[in-house]
Amino acid sequence: MMNNYKLPISKINQLFKNKELKPSELYAETFERAAITESIIHGHLELFQEENLKKALNSDERYEKGENLGTLDGIPIAIKDNINISGYATTCSSKMLSNYISPYDATVITRLKNEGALFTGKTNLDEFAMGSSTENSAFGPTKNPWDSSRVPGGSSGGSAAVVSAGSAIASLGSDTGGSIRQPASFCGVVGFKPTYGTVSRFGLVAFASSLDQIGPITNHVEDARLIFNSMKGHDPRDATSLIESKAKQPKLKNAKIGIIKELMEDGISEDAKKEVHKVAKLLEAEGHEIIEVSLPLTKMSISIYYLIAPAECSANLSRFDGVRYGNRVPGSTSSEMMELTRANGFGPEVKKRILLGTYALSAGYYDAYYGQALKARAMMKKEFTDIYEDVDYLISPTTPSDPFKFGEKSDNQLEMYMSDLCTIPANLVGMPAISIPTGLSSQGLPLSVQIMSPSNTDNTLLDFSESLESLVAFTEEPVINGVVS
Amino acid sequence: MSIIPTIGMETHVELKTNSKMFCRCHVLDTELPNESLCPTCLGLPGSLPVPNKKAIEFITLLALSTNCSITNDGMFHRKNYFYPDLPKNYQISQFDLPVGTEGSLEIVVDGEFGTVEIERVHMEEDTGKSTHIGSGRIDSATSTHLDFNRAGIPLVEVVTKPLIKSSKEAVAYIEELRQLVIDLDISEGKLEKGNLRFDANISVAHEGDKELGTKVEIKNMNSLKSLEKAIEYEISRQTKMLIAEENIIQETRHWDEKKEVTSSMRSKEGSADYRYFSDPDIPNMILSNDFVNEIKTIIPELPSQKRKMFIETGLSIEDANNLGKNKNWIGDLYLSITEITGDSKSSFNWVTGELQGQLRKLEIKDLPNWVTAKNLSEIILLVKEDKISFTSGKEILANLIEQEIVPEEFASQNNLIQENNIEEISKIVEEVIENNSEVLERIANGEEKLIGFLVGQIIKISKGQVNPSVAKELLLKEISS
Amino acid sequence: MADKIDIKNVAKLASIKLNQEEEDRLKNDLSMIIEHFDALSKMDLPDDKISIHPLGMSLNLAEDIASKSLTHKEALSNAPESKDGQFVVPPSLD
Repeated sequence: MMNNYKLPISKINQLFKNKELKPSELYAETFERAAITESIIHGHLELFQEENLKKALNSDERYEKGENLGTLDGIPIAIKDNINISGYATTCSSKMLSNYISPYDATVITRLKNEGALFTGKTNLDEFAMGSSTENSAFGPTKNPWDSSRVPGGSSGGSAAVVSAGSAIASLGSDTGGSIRQPASFCGVVGFKPTYGTVSRFGLVAFASSLDQIGPITNHVEDARLIFNSMKGHDPRDATSLIESKAKQPKLKNAKIGIIKELMEDGISEDAKKEVHKVAKLLEAEGHEIIEVSLPLTKMSISIYYLIAPAECSANLSRFDGVRYGNRVPGSTSSEMMELTRANGFGPEVKKRILLGTYALSAGYYDAYYGQALKARAMMKKEFTDIYEDVDYLISPTTPSDPFKFGEKSDNQLEMYMSDLCTIPANLVGMPAISIPTGLSSQGLPLSVQIMSPSNTDNTLLDFSESLESLVAFTEEPVINGVVS
Repeated sequence: MSIIPTIGMETHVELKTNSKMFCRCHVLDTELPNESLCPTCLGLPGSLPVPNKKAIEFITLLALSTNCSITNDGMFHRKNYFYPDLPKNYQISQFDLPVGTEGSLEIVVDGEFGTVEIERVHMEEDTGKSTHIGSGRIDSATSTHLDFNRAGIPLVEVVTKPLIKSSKEAVAYIEELRQLVIDLDISEGKLEKGNLRFDANISVAHEGDKELGTKVEIKNMNSLKSLEKAIEYEISRQTKMLIAEENIIQETRHWDEKKEVTSSMRSKEGSADYRYFSDPDIPNMILSNDFVNEIKTIIPELPSQKRKMFIETGLSIEDANNLGKNKNWIGDLYLSITEITGDSKSSFNWVTGELQGQLRKLEIKDLPNWVTAKNLSEIILLVKEDKISFTSGKEILANLIEQEIVPEEFASQNNLIQENNIEEISKIVEEVIENNSEVLERIANGEEKLIGFLVGQIIKISKGQVNPSVAKELLLKEISS
Repeated sequence: MADKIDIKNVAKLASIKLNQEEEDRLKNDLSMIIEHFDALSKMDLPDDKISIHPLGMSLNLAEDIASKSLTHKEALSNAPESKDGQFVVPPSLD
């Protein structure tokens, strides 16, 4: 018998409609889970208990009258703390913004509010979304519910952990180089990064503007679809927001699936490779065709990404100067104040990336570094577009390995950056990608497989992934330090 | 060997759109600080820019009106530098793909035509306003206050090629640019309000030198007068240094209005590294040929075109230029009147002199609708044909402004029609001579001033209806005979 | 390779005050990363127009209709220091 907080949202909605469960009761369950698990995993930075008690009761009333706002009415969703909710702190897990209260709602928040969703609170992340382990949070790391000596992944570590732990039915994360998919994989849940431009970035604190996307982290693929469709659509407040466009959709039956050769080589653990092969067999048995494809430029992904992302972030984070908001450190002149405020407010990884980006853009280096990266990116996009002439979907591991231990990669920056090898390409080319848990490693830790498809085929990808999800039938749940769920 | 100055002008034009460049906050004219703000123009975390369509239309109008080539596939760039009045610590601007390039502007200097070549016209956003609090000097302030109402207002930057040769030319250029943006209705063009702000880049070199001298940027000139003075001062300063073979530093200097000198702004030597890169928040700005052609159809009459029309009626370049600086209805009125009277100079003087003068005195902004080219021409012709005196003409005009009258009717009803009939006037002359024999004697003895007295008597008797010059002529004739 | 990076200048451009330890460490870290870019920087890549903007989307301009967003109070709500409705900072020399 599944706990309510692990049920698909549509099923919960049915229970609400059939009066077998009330939103306030569900919320109490997730809050109880938070009470039990938060002291161990530290996924939430803040819980909105007081507001939610009221909201849940309002939701109860609506279901009583048969006037619920939508399928998401009464569903508790955790929000990554780089997404603005009016009246609440948006800290981005940084000392710089520890006292910042946002005066506005992100567009995705407005849309979810209109559906009656509850927000459990804000979740932990790597500072300003820069990292792959949530070790870079200024407020302490989040622990992986599967093994508290291991990282939950990053940067949306908190969002993935709370869904895995059951203190939220679903969560929102943001993905720039894999920050939704990688933590979802590490925590054994589903993580979806939509086509760039389908979900508004207005209200998401920008890391790398041409790469960032908000997406759902859920227990089930159908939940990801539900939340994605509630958020997606043109937003006039985001100039990079797409107006609905047509695209040739990949096949759902007898599809051709390409395993990316370059992502099954060195640097990928045997366990991770095994999962891909396992999934490939399942798909073949269903009548799909599996082939091996080569995307040579994928090997350059890390370099391209670590030039473009820091360059964009170096400008995006310039606004944090202690003038209009933020934790100001006094100075005798305003430039001294800004320099000291930024020195004090930013953690080491953030400083590093800002300086790297500043360097890459500075006079004399632009052409060799940033300029090259842009060209390579455009070529990579072409490589992907060409390959999609031959295949419907692409498949790879989500992460090179199962979740690593705290401190294991902190000393070696390049090794840490390599954890994003499989996920970065989808951000660079702006195409959708989803991570689905498929099994456990030899150490009993979750492993996932990533499926990718062309731009603007999001719902088809979700449909395909849902059928794969049933084939895989991954039902394991973490046992949080002896606490029976 | 002479020393040749070279000047380049960088002008920022504030556009009169309803909302800001990258957000929909009101463009407010208010004293209250920080009233018109949103996450975007305040630079809050998570905010995004969305360009203003009207601003793009306005800049395209300006670029086309200055004969620029339009960049069909352009983009916005981030110009990165840290300063408290810059909310994001980068300004969204344009770098190598500005909206307009390679244009020109016709100007009038000392009554002659000239041309200023324009290098580029690009779109950017304004910063907030800093007020330095303290003893009044920038370098001894104790704190700085910031108002971000202005942050994000659309600015068009117009950069000339460094080919301007004198302060007069620079002033004439700014005057022309101001008139242009007013006529295009894209900016209020008020210097005192900061709608038009300009910096000058000045260098000097020996005549014949292939390369230009070191460029010095001059900021803080708030009026045309200070522009002229600042350029003159700086040319003089640099010339002295060049002659003495002293090294001129590339820097930014501040024009001190009180002391009337330019002074060093310490912190800005050399050129800054702005690390320009295309703004990933804003896709390419495609200005299609259809769009450009549509804008072409709404270009109103340009200052240069107005001048041409006025000159064709017989006005000098200088007069034509000045006429065009008024509201368009004045120029139109002038043209209509000239068509009827056939006298461009008279029409020009009456319209820009008497009519404008009287309206200004009465504080009337718009011409009352019963005052037309027809009835104004009537007044002008009455005076031109000597039927009424100039003074009477002024009087009729004053009455016409107040109420609907027919000038000629009004003139006869009020005894303003001048008597030009020689016979009639002669009778009065005779009468006056008869009754003023003493005065005549004194005139005969050399007191010629008294002729005026006698003319005055003639006018008095005729109740102002005698043409004074005719009267005087007849009087003199009589006296000498 | 580490000598190539003028970390002081980069930090100045980025307006971040670094202490000596940070300067040394970051200089090394950045050098290591930059070395990794070597292969990319040496690639012979075509100069196509497509590289100008990352994702080739089309720009939708906004209509010039103004609306009120933040109240004065909201705008100043997070100000570290304010006076008479204005944000206050230490003196900014031009």
